Amino acid sequence: MRLPLVTESVAAGFPSPADDYVEAGIDLNEHLIARPSSTFFLRVSGDSMTDAGIHHGDLLIVDRSVEPRPGRIVVAAVEGAFTLKRLVRHQGRLRLEAAHAAYPPLELSDADDTRLWGVAIHVIHPL
Amino acid sequence: MAFATVLIDGNNFYASCEAALDPALIGRPLVVLSNNDGCIVARSAEARALGIAMGVPYFQVRRQLERQGVVVRSSNYALYADMSQRLMATLEPWVEELEVYSIDEAFGRLHRPAGAGPGKGSRGGDLSAWGLALRRQVRRHLGLPVAVGIAGSKTLAKVANRLAKQNPIQQGVFDLGAVPDPDPWLEQVPVEEVWGIGRKLSRWCRLRGVATARQLRDLPSGELRARCGVVGLRLQQDLRGHSCLLLQSVVPAKQETCVSRSFSEPVTSLAALREAIATYLSRAAEKLRRQRQRTGTVTVFVRSSPFNGTSLYANAATTTLPLASNDTAVLLAAALPLAERLFKPHKPLQKAGVLLQNLQPVEQLQHHLLVPLPPEQQQRREALMATIDGLNRRYGRGTVQWAACGLRPAWAMKRERLSRSATTRPADLPVVWAD
Repeated sequence: MRLPLVTESVAAGFPSPADDYVEAGIDLNEHLIARPSSTFFLRVSGDSMTDAGIHHGDLLIVDRSVEPRPGRIVVAAVEGAFTLKRLVRHQGRLRLEAAHAAYPPLELSDADDTRLWGVAIHVIHPL
Repeated sequence: MAFATVLIDGNNFYASCEAALDPALIGRPLVVLSNNDGCIVARSAEARALGIAMGVPYFQVRRQLERQGVVVRSSNYALYADMSQRLMATLEPWVEELEVYSIDEAFGRLHRPAGAGPGKGSRGGDLSAWGLALRRQVRRHLGLPVAVGIAGSKTLAKVANRLAKQNPIQQGVFDLGAVPDPDPWLEQVPVEEVWGIGRKLSRWCRLRGVATARQLRDLPSGELRARCGVVGLRLQQDLRGHSCLLLQSVVPAKQETCVSRSFSEPVTSLAALREAIATYLSRAAEKLRRQRQRTGTVTVFVRSSPFNGTSLYANAATTTLPLASNDTAVLLAAALPLAERLFKPHKPLQKAGVLLQNLQPVEQLQHHLLVPLPPEQQQRREALMATIDGLNRRYGRGTVQWAACGLRPAWAMKRERLSRSATTRPADLPVVWAD
């Protein structure tokens, strides 16, 4: 339940000088998520992406409406599982690269390739 | 400026929701079961291709499904409701007015002509490009396949939607309002499939030689009106392209609220029936408070199984409240004695429910001459209800409930193959692998 921050109770006699300046508290939902209808949360398992700042156990916020651009971390739906990849442009074509060199890159057929599930926009990492 | 009416609906909605959040299901045959894992209510495209029929009882095809490697899931309403909200929020910017018709269907209204993209205009009467762009966006943003039917009225939009699904070449979108001649298309649709034509009415139509939507449209209006009055006339006008059924984007206040479920195993004891009625009543009272209404009467109804050899026992009892209320404790005190009256020791029950009628908005409170209503106490009770509702909303359904509802009842809905509620429960989030 969201309540505005008010500095005086209704019954008190002396008004607060701050009354005219009351602002709403910060809501992380509003702050981090531009488009709730296309935003999903995933849980990260594994540590191959720690260089990108994504650690095992982190909460990943993915917005499926964000335009996938080269350089972004994306979630791929491949062989029955969600995996983290980086989107790169290679010789004019878009492809998904894994953190480990052992995994071959995935060539994307076009912008609508359903294997590209969504773009990661934030990661929440507990310290 | 002409308007177009569109009907957008999800293909195999429940099955598609499951696959949207679980990539292991992509491309696999999948069926979703009804309450108590009773019948098949949704099939993925791959399951359809295997010839699995809709509505078939699960126990009848269980072995066959195992052999064919079909994935089976119980209905995960938490997931479907959330995906439905997302779908409607995604559709809203595409139309000028949206009417949410069911969990996976919505009617929309927009100006014709329009170009591809929400609300932007360009020359051209054909909205197919617009429909394809919408379809593409829903696919991208939610992973849900939808079909788009575009026409001059609601009934025709439903027809167009069906034609979009029926003809794969349309790619899921069909603009009936833009074809040079709608007749051959209307001829493709059997009269039973027209929105508003039920079993009896379609029999009546067939007897008169009306077998298709087109023939229904061309039937002299006097005949149809004589049979079903102004409802039939509106339907026919709709079919003729004169939009008679308007969009309802403002939902009228509900006149009654009902919660009823069938039991996963027959209820043979009064204690179990009391638990069930208490549970359904809590849910109904919650709905009332959310709808900002109070009820004046409480009805409890029970029914034994229609599939057993024994004769059907069905009964109901009603009580009127001296003061309209949405306080769960007050409603329980009214409903539980009714349940006791209805219970018969040798008649196992298969289904029960509560029905609340004479609903009044909370702003309106009629005082009773003889029943005192101390305002402070009323406020405290309301605050209590609000707190309980808030806790259940925040921490999950059933966090706080009345003891009368029972803790882990045997009769509760069986859902043995439930997927995780991946968009509504933090513990159920899908895993993304980084390795």
